[in-house]
Amino acid sequence: MIQPGRRIVILVMQQALLCLDLPRRTSFASPMPKAPRAPQRLARMQPGKREPAEAPHWEVLIRAIAADQDRDAFARLFAYFAPRVKAFMQRSGVPADAAEELAQETMINVWRKAALFDAGTAGAAAWIFTIARNLRIDAYRRTQRGIDATAAEFEFELETDDAMQPDAAMIAKQDQTRVRAALDQLSAEQLRVVELSFFEQQAHADIAAALGIPLGTVKSRLRLAMNRLRDLLDGQS
Amino acid sequence: MSIQHHPDDALLSAFAGGTLDSGQHVAIATHLLACARCRNFVRTMERVGGSLLTDVPPAPMSSNAFAAVEARLGEAPPSRPVTPSLPEGETEIPGLPKFVRRYRFGRWNWVAPSVHVRPIELPEPGQTRVFLLRSGPGTRLLQHSHTGVEMTCVLAGGFSQEQGHYGPGDFDLGDESIDHHPVVDADGDCICLVAMQGELRLAGLLGRLMQPFVRL
Ligand SMILES: [Zn+2]
Repeated sequence: MIQPGRRIVILVMQQALLCLDLPRRTSFASPMPKAPRAPQRLARMQPGKREPAEAPHWEVLIRAIAADQDRDAFARLFAYFAPRVKAFMQRSGVPADAAEELAQETMINVWRKAALFDAGTAGAAAWIFTIARNLRIDAYRRTQRGIDATAAEFEFELETDDAMQPDAAMIAKQDQTRVRAALDQLSAEQLRVVELSFFEQQAHADIAAALGIPLGTVKSRLRLAMNRLRDLLDGQS
Repeated sequence: MSIQHHPDDALLSAFAGGTLDSGQHVAIATHLLACARCRNFVRTMERVGGSLLTDVPPAPMSSNAFAAVEARLGEAPPSRPVTPSLPEGETEIPGLPKFVRRYRFGRWNWVAPSVHVRPIELPEPGQTRVFLLRSGPGTRLLQHSHTGVEMTCVLAGGFSQEQGHYGPGDFDLGDESIDHHPVVDADGDCICLVAMQGELRLAGLLGRLMQPFVRL
C-alpha cells in the first residue's frame, strides 16, 4: 500500500507529527507509583488526562464477550480501542480509509477471538495490539501479491507453547505495569526510536534517511534504547 | 544443548512491532520457536506495543463504523484454504515453524562440494531471500561478506566461527562489516535457515562459481 518512493515522504511527515506531538509524551502517565523522574518530564505531566491503559475492566469486557457475547461490553471496547487502532495504522503509513477498515477488522477479530484471549499471556491492550499488528502485516502483504494471510498463525503456534506457564496471569499483570513504568523512564529520544520500530514499516536505513542521521546512529540509538528498556524491565522484577 | 546466540533486542522489538520484512520475520520466528528467553522478550515488547497503542492520540472513526461492525458480528469467520506444505517425507526438517512449512519449497541445489541450498518461496516478494543451507560434516564454508544483512538460524547440526559454536536454535546476524569463516561440525550435516538481503560476496574461484546459484 506504500510505494517505496513515498515512504520517505510519509516518514518525514510522521517525524514532523512526532515532533509536533511531543507533549503527548505526557500521556505515559503510569497508574502505579512512579520512580523518580526528570524535572522537565514532571512539568509535562497531565495526570488524569486519559484512562489507564490496562485498567482491569478491559479484560473483564473481553471475557464478557467470550462468555455471553456481550454487545455492550464490545461497544465499550470499540469506543476506546477502534480510534486508537486506526491512529496506530495511520502512523504506520496506512492511508486513512484503509486504516479505518483495518481498525474495524481488528475489532471484529476481538469479537471472534475473545474466547482465545488469555489474560495470562497478554494484557488486553497488548492482545489487541498483536491483532492489529498482524492484520497490518497481512494487509501489507496482500496488497503486494494478493496472498492469503498468515501472520496470526505463528502467534497461535507460540501461544500454544507458552500458555501453560504457572502463574502466568499474575506475571502478565505485573508485566504490563512494569512495561509502563519502564517506558516512563525512557528519555524522549529513546522513546522516539522505540516508537519508530513499532510504527514504521521501514528499515533502519530509511529511518536514518528520514531523520537525516547516519545509519550507525539509528542503530546505536535503537540499541541503547532497547538496552535501557531491558535493564529497566529486568531491574524491576 | 542450550542456545547461546540470540537476535539483538532491536530485532526482537522490530519483530514484535511487525516491522520486519517477511524474510527476516521467518528467520526470527524460527529462532523464537526454539528460544523461550527471546519469546519472553517479544511478549514484553508486545506489551510495549499495547502501551503505545493506548497512548496514541485517537483518530476518530467514521460515524457509521460501529453499526457496520456490529452488523458483521454474526458472520462466520472466513475459512482458510489449505495451502501446500513441505512434500511428504520431508517434514523431518526440524525446527521450522509450521507456517513456514506451508510455503513452497524449491529443490535442493548443489552449489559446492557437500553444500546444498534449497530456496523457500515467500508468499510475497521482498528484499530478503530465504533458503535452507545444508552443509556436510567438516565443511569449511566459503569466506564471504554481504552487501546487506544476513540472518542464520541453525536447525540441525552445528558450526563454529569467530564468535563461538552455533547449535540448533542459535541465531547469527551478519552485515557489511562482518566476515564469516564458518566451519561445520565434524559429526554430521548442518542445516540452517538463512534469510539474506542484498548480494553475497564470495571470495575465490569457487565463490565465483557459486555466485550465480546463490543469487537464486
Ligand atoms: Zn533467543
